[in-house]
This record gives sequence, structure tokens and C-alpha cells, in this order.
Amino acid sequence: MVPPTSPLPSPRESRETAAETGGSSSAEPGCAGFYTARDSRNQRRFNVWLLAMALAYVGAAAALRFRESIPRALPWLLVGLTLILAIQATRSYLVFLRAADELLRRIQTEALALGFGAGAVSSFLCPLLEKLGVPWLDGHATALVMMLFWGAGTWLGTRRYCGSSAA
Amino acid sequence: MTNRLRILRAERNWSQAELAERLGVSRQTVNAIETGRYDPSLPLAFGLARLFGVAIEQLFDPESEPILTDRPPY
Repeated sequence: MVPPTSPLPSPRESRETAAETGGSSSAEPGCAGFYTARDSRNQRRFNVWLLAMALAYVGAAAALRFRESIPRALPWLLVGLTLILAIQATRSYLVFLRAADELLRRIQTEALALGFGAGAVSSFLCPLLEKLGVPWLDGHATALVMMLFWGAGTWLGTRRYCGSSAA
Repeated sequence: MTNRLRILRAERNWSQAELAERLGVSRQTVNAIETGRYDPSLPLAFGLARLFGVAIEQLFDPESEPILTDRPPY
């Protein structure tokens, strides 16, 4: 957020935004133009950490599956690495969210609320569904529901606040 | 809440992208404020007022309802 004593951004920040918006003569189609250059850069950093975490997770899962035939320390190392990368991914998302354009921050916050709500409902519902005879959905299902609804919430928020430059 | 952002921007012949650039926000933020879908934060509202050289009350009218060109999807 821009400090109250200086409501206008620095020239450097303005130039970064200009690079993202395509300068003064751009006319963007559809729902483009939600990200400033800084937002795009922070989003890329988050994506890299998230991808690294996903790869480490797959590696850890594989190592646990074949733990009888590999060195005993390797699964521990990979699980630890996954945890470290997950913390880094979370940290980079917080950096992205704190520095985000204020409309983008609102969209992301609403999407996170939707994802959290869906995850909470899912975690309560899974044991009930199990008692009804539905195959047990483990913690992965809740995480998946959260991520899916977070993505859906981002899409809905983008649709909600979208407007063409000709508007 | 309505605002005179589009009028003031048109008077200066600025595009939404140009205004966004001057304010350090995204073009969609400018668009959402103009169409009444989004009310800006206090620092951004002051930034707009300062940029256009008007008092904040001359830019925003909290008494009136926004006129949306189309209804949000939810």
C-alpha cells in the first residue's frame, strides 16, 4: 500500500506499471490488466517456489514408497525439503499479496476466503460421507478442494471486476 | 458511491492505462473505480484527488448509488 503521506508512487514504480500496462496508448482486450509489473514479478516468484515444492513433494512421495530399497535418510531429507519449500512458497505468496495492486489484493482475499470455506466444509463433510459409505477422502481431498476453490474464486473475482479499456 | 473520475480523465484526454501508470495501480483498478464496482482505499482516493487537483469531495459522492453498465456475475 502506498503511504498516506505520499499517495503517489515513485517514478520507478510508475515506470514498472507502465511496462505492465503497455504504456499510454495500450488498449487491452477482455480481462487483462489486473497485474502491475511488480505483481507479475512477485507472482512468478511464487510460482517458482510452488513448482519446486510440488516437485519435492512428488520426490518425497516416491521416496516413501520405495523406502526399503533406498538410504534411510533420503525420505526424511525430501520431506524436510518439501516443508522448507512450502514455507518459502507461503512467504512469497504473502509478499505478493502485501505488495499487490489493491483491486488484485481484494480479488485474492475473496478467493482465499472461498477456498478456506470450501476446505473447512470439506474437512467436516469427509467423516460424515465416510459414515454414509462413501470411500474415505483423506487430507489430500481437503487440500485439493481448497486449491480448486481458490482458483475458482480468483476466476470469479476477475470476472466480477473486469472491464475493457474502452469502458 | 459515484465519482467523476471518467469525466476528469476525459478532460485531460488520458487513457485508463495512462491514469493507472500515474497512480501506480493496474488499469483494471481504474476501470473498476470508474464503473463503481470498487471503492478505492483512502491513500488511492487522496492520490486521485491530488492528481486531478480537486478536493476529495469533488471527486467522490458517497450519497449516490453507482451506475453500473452491466451487472457483476455474482
